[in-house]
Amino acid sequence: MRRVVSFLARRRGHGGRWHWTDAVTWLWLVGGTVLMFGPALWLVASSFKGPAQLAEFPPTLLPYEQIVVQVEGHDAPLPLYEVAGPHGTTRQLAEIRRIGTNAQMVDPTDPDTRLNVDIAARTPIREIGLALDNYVQPLVANDFLRFLWNSVFVTVMATLITLLTNSMAAFALSKYRFRGRDAVMLLIVATLMVPLSVILVPLYSVVNATGLLDSLWGVILPTVATPTGVFLLRQYMLTIPDELLEAARMDHASEWQIYWRIVLPLAAPALAVLAIFSVVWRWNDFLWPLIVLSRRETYTLQVGLNTYAGELNVQWHYILAMTVVTMIPVVLVFVFLQRFITTGIAGAGIK
Amino acid sequence: MAALPAKLGVVVTAPLVLLARAVDPPLRWWQRMAGQGGMAAVFLLPNLAIFGVFVLFPLALNFVYSTTAGTDILLQGRSFVGGAQYARLLECRDYLDPLTCREDTFWTAAANTLVFVVLQVTMMVVVSTITALILNREIRARGFFRAVFFFPVLLSPVVVGLIWRWILQRQGLLNLVMVSLGLEPEVWLNDRTYAFAATIGVSVWAHMGFYTLILLAGLQAIPKDLYEAAEMDGTRPARVFWRITLPLLGPNLAVVLVLALIRGVQIFDEVYVLTGGGPGTSTLYLTQYIYEVGFASVLRNPGLAAAASILMGLVLVVLTLCQLWLSRRGEAKGAK
Amino acid sequence: MGRITLNDIRKRFGTTEVIHGVDLEVGEGELVVFVGPSGCGKSTLLRLIAGLDQPTSGTIEIDGRDVTRVSAADRGLAMVFQSYALYPHMTVQQNLSFGLQNTKMARDEVGRRVSEAARMLEIEPLLERRPTQLSGGQRQRVAIGRAIVREPAAFLLDEPLSNLDAELRVTMRAELAQLHDRLTTTMIYVTHDQVEAMTLADRIVVLRHGRIEQVATPLDLFNRPANLFVAGFIGAPNMNLFTATAQDGQAALPGGLAVPVPRNGPCTIGIRPQHLHPAEADASALEGRVTLVEALGTETVVHFRTADGTDVITVMAGQPGIRLGDTIRLAPDPGQIHLFDADGDRMDNNV
Repeated sequence: MRRVVSFLARRRGHGGRWHWTDAVTWLWLVGGTVLMFGPALWLVASSFKGPAQLAEFPPTLLPYEQIVVQVEGHDAPLPLYEVAGPHGTTRQLAEIRRIGTNAQMVDPTDPDTRLNVDIAARTPIREIGLALDNYVQPLVANDFLRFLWNSVFVTVMATLITLLTNSMAAFALSKYRFRGRDAVMLLIVATLMVPLSVILVPLYSVVNATGLLDSLWGVILPTVATPTGVFLLRQYMLTIPDELLEAARMDHASEWQIYWRIVLPLAAPALAVLAIFSVVWRWNDFLWPLIVLSRRETYTLQVGLNTYAGELNVQWHYILAMTVVTMIPVVLVFVFLQRFITTGIAGAGIK
Repeated sequence: MAALPAKLGVVVTAPLVLLARAVDPPLRWWQRMAGQGGMAAVFLLPNLAIFGVFVLFPLALNFVYSTTAGTDILLQGRSFVGGAQYARLLECRDYLDPLTCREDTFWTAAANTLVFVVLQVTMMVVVSTITALILNREIRARGFFRAVFFFPVLLSPVVVGLIWRWILQRQGLLNLVMVSLGLEPEVWLNDRTYAFAATIGVSVWAHMGFYTLILLAGLQAIPKDLYEAAEMDGTRPARVFWRITLPLLGPNLAVVLVLALIRGVQIFDEVYVLTGGGPGTSTLYLTQYIYEVGFASVLRNPGLAAAASILMGLVLVVLTLCQLWLSRRGEAKGAK
Repeated sequence: MGRITLNDIRKRFGTTEVIHGVDLEVGEGELVVFVGPSGCGKSTLLRLIAGLDQPTSGTIEIDGRDVTRVSAADRGLAMVFQSYALYPHMTVQQNLSFGLQNTKMARDEVGRRVSEAARMLEIEPLLERRPTQLSGGQRQRVAIGRAIVREPAAFLLDEPLSNLDAELRVTMRAELAQLHDRLTTTMIYVTHDQVEAMTLADRIVVLRHGRIEQVATPLDLFNRPANLFVAGFIGAPNMNLFTATAQDGQAALPGGLAVPVPRNGPCTIGIRPQHLHPAEADASALEGRVTLVEALGTETVVHFRTADGTDVITVMAGQPGIRLGDTIRLAPDPGQIHLFDADGDRMDNNV
């Protein structure tokens, strides 16, 4: 432990002198780590708690489960409590039912005697346990498996189409000279100024008119023509030397082959960055799917979560678990591909 | 380990490869017929078609919608009313008091958005600048900490909203902290001021990592030599910050400012999940107003929503032009 | 003013020591050049003197004052960086005055020093421009100007000419020499270019792998290299080196030419290409077939290979009319033969 501390406290560069800015730095970094990861960790811990435990205050850090015992003469297992006796003694009793402030209880070793106990005199016996039902139930009984599939479908399809159409456009805009090229570029720049939230009403009517309402394609298509994607890829393709294309033309490659066999593989790093961004974008999309999708079978995870969270009687134990499920792909991206994204943002300033 | 993803990749891309082979012969024919210009058109077509149908056409249509009235979403069922929707939005007895306006929710949303944007962007710029400065110091595990602050950026707004709703609820983590500090617990999201503050705090929490990265890249682009030259000159740290770091970070700060403004004006997702605009209308922002007027309310009015979205769009156009101008200027500087 | 003494300076980065105990005395007004191949530690040594890095052990004195723990700003030195490190957002005027303002110097004194430096460097018309609006040579002058206005005890120059094109480099080199004559301030100059070192230096410090190989005047270095490394590093084309074994006070060159050697055993005989001349017909000589002729007009560099396969280079004045495949016979100038022992150190009783 001391070695860890001294490792963390050691500064690079000028000797071992401490300056007040070093203290601020470490306070900021440690505080930041707690603040950034803490909420998500709290969510994960909560998602394994049963409904009864979620309603408790103060909440415990770790999930616990009530221990239950099978008692002769009762079909369902009964919850086990520790009951304080009159002379400081305690005994373990199972609760049959609650009547007002009293609980009717039974000793599991002596099932025939029933006892009346004040509920203030008993505490539940619990052990650390995961309420996995929180995860199983919504996926099996509710529609969350369906939502999950819809989200995966939207994300994969939208990303594939984004990569294809954006790279084709970027290829034309970076490697051909033709009349109107600047006009097309300007047009694409201009669409940067038109975020979805500005054209909700007419876009809805266009999607309605094309019969895509309530369909996943209605979610996918309006999102794939991202100007950012075209920009990013064009910038990268401009660095591919034209001589390579000319050499391919000398080798009788068609223009399509040049695009498919030469430019695309060479643009792989930029494509990878765009793919990662596209996956995160589409997985996280909320407002547009919320508008287009009105039938429960077509909901994506985000819309489904919002719907369940908006109900009068919020079933937090399911919501929390499904929020964790929704978070998983993004956390995977974060863990494995975070480096690509951060360099992408630093390099191109896209999000 | 690497073999499985590679195989998976082959399976996923196989149909695409076949498709690409299949389209080659007809495209070759087209290339002979139409030449290189014709091929450029082919490559541009899919993207431009989608752009046209789902961005440009709706953009034009938006103006048409904003001049019509009715609850019908189809244009045939709507009547032309000219500038009446705009007039309705802008009609106020006292422009300083949203409640005296005919469309008082629009003005409330606009006023909320204005206050939100001013406070949120200020906080965002300050917090991410400090974080970037700290991450730019010679610290251990810099990559780890950079990732720490970036983590929430990837989370979906719905997840962000739900995480914080869970923390801020009556039996939530924040109240646990309050109680353990000997303070009174609160129902945070039921209080107008706390709820408003929560939308600001949560959106800063969720997005600051992004702006931090841009600023950090800017800081790292400042040559170390300059700092060494300043050290040789005996420049005090505060003066180094104000006279060297800040001016050289200027272009990045401007970009961050404008980007944060653009995003702030459009804020919706996480707030909608966190507070739903409440309590009352205390956290109702413009995009939610447009959404509710256009789609969600019983008395929906797509024309009014279109008019409101055009007004919001005008603000965004101005801000985006600022951004393009700034990034152009940045590029021109870099090129020299 | 401006005497700099290094006592057993060592510098470690992490676990690797890059400077292994350097002792050096730089006299007042002297222009000392640090020269060596890349990675030899010459820039590190300069940064240690500047105070930008701290030595791991050893002391640095300026005019007899121990400054090892004194900050860079308080050592009274000025540095010209390889990249010039001009503040891009400040005008030339502001760049020149920035360091002086830090010391809260009176305004008219700052103005006087800046205009004097500008006049000296002929950059007066550029004072209102920014660094991006200057040519490479102009930036170089501004960088030097920024050092001059501080009126330092010594100038430190880190490869100041390496970013200029060849022609400009020659001009700036001459100007730097003049500047040193005029200012008579101590200068320490780092370069990897031996021509710069030879033309500018009062004394040259040859460094390799963080150790001083030799400290001497340029001509001493050329005429009496202390070891094989210095012999090979200084002089162009490189010195011809022949390995031989001395017996009975003599060692034989290829072709049988005998050279007297003070000690028996393995040794290396060095002869500069400029010090080979046509041998007399009956004397023993270096004989070989010409493999390459580089005619430069004023002189001709001839590469030839002896019968036993040793490659030798010679430089002949003018245009001797030698062709590829010719056989030539050469003998070294007496008194211009360098002898090195098995460790590569100079054997000192010259022949």
